[in-house]
Amino acid sequence: MTKSPPSVVATNIGLAYRMARDQAGSMKEFAINMLKRQVVYESLWALDDVSFEIGQGEVFGVVGPNGAGKSTLMKVLAGVLPPTSGRVVVRGLVSPMIELSGGMNPEMTGRENIVMFGVLLGRDPAYMRERVGPISEWAELPEFLDVPMRNYSTGMVARLGFAIATDVKPEILLVDEVLSVGDEAFRRKSNERLEELMEGGTTVVLVSHSLATVRSMADRVMWLDHGRIKMLGESQTVVQAYQDSV
Amino acid sequence: MTTTNTPIYDSASPRRPIVHPFVNIWTNRDLIKLLVGRDLTVRYKRSVLGVWWTVLNPLLTTLVYWFVFSAIFQRSAGTEVPFVIYLLSGTLLISVFFSQGSVAGGSSLISGRTILSKIRVPGEVFATTAALAAAVNFLIGTVLLLIIQPILGWPIPWTVVLVPIPTLAMLALVTGFGMLIASAAIHFYDVLDFVRVILQMVIWLVPTFYPIEIIPENLQILVKVNPLYSYLVVFRGFMYEGVFPPTWNLVYMGASAIIVLLLGVWVFSKSWKQAAVRL
Repeated sequence: MTKSPPSVVATNIGLAYRMARDQAGSMKEFAINMLKRQVVYESLWALDDVSFEIGQGEVFGVVGPNGAGKSTLMKVLAGVLPPTSGRVVVRGLVSPMIELSGGMNPEMTGRENIVMFGVLLGRDPAYMRERVGPISEWAELPEFLDVPMRNYSTGMVARLGFAIATDVKPEILLVDEVLSVGDEAFRRKSNERLEELMEGGTTVVLVSHSLATVRSMADRVMWLDHGRIKMLGESQTVVQAYQDSV
Repeated sequence: MTTTNTPIYDSASPRRPIVHPFVNIWTNRDLIKLLVGRDLTVRYKRSVLGVWWTVLNPLLTTLVYWFVFSAIFQRSAGTEVPFVIYLLSGTLLISVFFSQGSVAGGSSLISGRTILSKIRVPGEVFATTAALAAAVNFLIGTVLLLIIQPILGWPIPWTVVLVPIPTLAMLALVTGFGMLIASAAIHFYDVLDFVRVILQMVIWLVPTFYPIEIIPENLQILVKVNPLYSYLVVFRGFMYEGVFPPTWNLVYMGASAIIVLLLGVWVFSKSWKQAAVRL
């Protein structure tokens, strides 16, 4: 068997948020600042010279304190933020599981949102219409399918989001703290599904503050600090080192 | 393991400023279709009359202007066509299609930010959606016009089949203009407020509600240099006058549509990388 190409190859990626100091929010302010020659740009490097590879089927954990660049990294991998420098190549259909309620429209019904969200993730509308049944069943809300989502509880929205993002084996799953939503039963159920996907060869990038989760699930872990890689290696070692430093 | 259709995202792949957005729009056509449908229905979801507001809105606007002009100023179109038809056609093309479409396109990145900051969807998809939704609203309105014309005793000329020509030109204009505004609005939010005021003025700078004849002959040139004037002439010519507009109007309309579309797409493309970070 030939080795399959890595899912993610990141080479020296850097991401700078260019911030005008005293950022002008309006044209008037900007013009005034311009005239006073006070527009000073500062670059805030949320990621700085970060290089790594994630093999196909690998579970890759990312840990680090708040503001270390974990969420920015996820956005770069999702293709939402183009890196300012360096290069990232992602091979496969990406399912980002980030606070999913954002992509859903509260005025639309659950059914409409399932189709819309699936298509946003790059799937076919006709196919998504077929998947409405299984998805709503898994999320345990088939009876709410034709109700506008504004009437859903937070837990219901989270369940539906998780169900859509993990329905049909995505090739790469980006998991950013989603596991902390929902009640105990849902957590158990979603963990089971994640494990199923991992065994099935889905590549998973996992960001979590729960070190126990990362330690038990991830094959390798990257420790980010101020946008730089502090340590990258086998999960036990890295999580232990990170834990000791805090 | 990897199949041939595995999508590959490479941040370093070159982005051709003009071609790429059109490719993105084409590959995302299914999504655009869904988004347009959502745009048209969601707005009225909580209202009793629902999507009927799409028709009622321009109709009520027309009635207000009709009342103001004919009852208060005792003015009518000065053309043979019933004044209501003149007003409604102007309202549909300039207010509903151009003005509302441009504002929607300009705010499309900001209103779509919850999705754009999480899922990789090209921004041009949202800008295009806004223009298309405005086009659909406009077309629904022209159907209304087709019903009203015979009721008011005005025949429907065969040239009606040519109405898609000004419609497509306006679609290109609104898409491009919306993208230009959107690129600017990412950097400064108040661009949108500014644009809304400008558009209010623009509606009055062309004969949307009044006949051009009420403007002194030597000043009419100021109206005619505005490309929107040509769109009005072409649309009204095809829609109810049943005449072919002067060639210069057709050329001016087509040229402005293409130039604004390409300019908008180019600027949008160029500013996209910065925009992504700011969203």
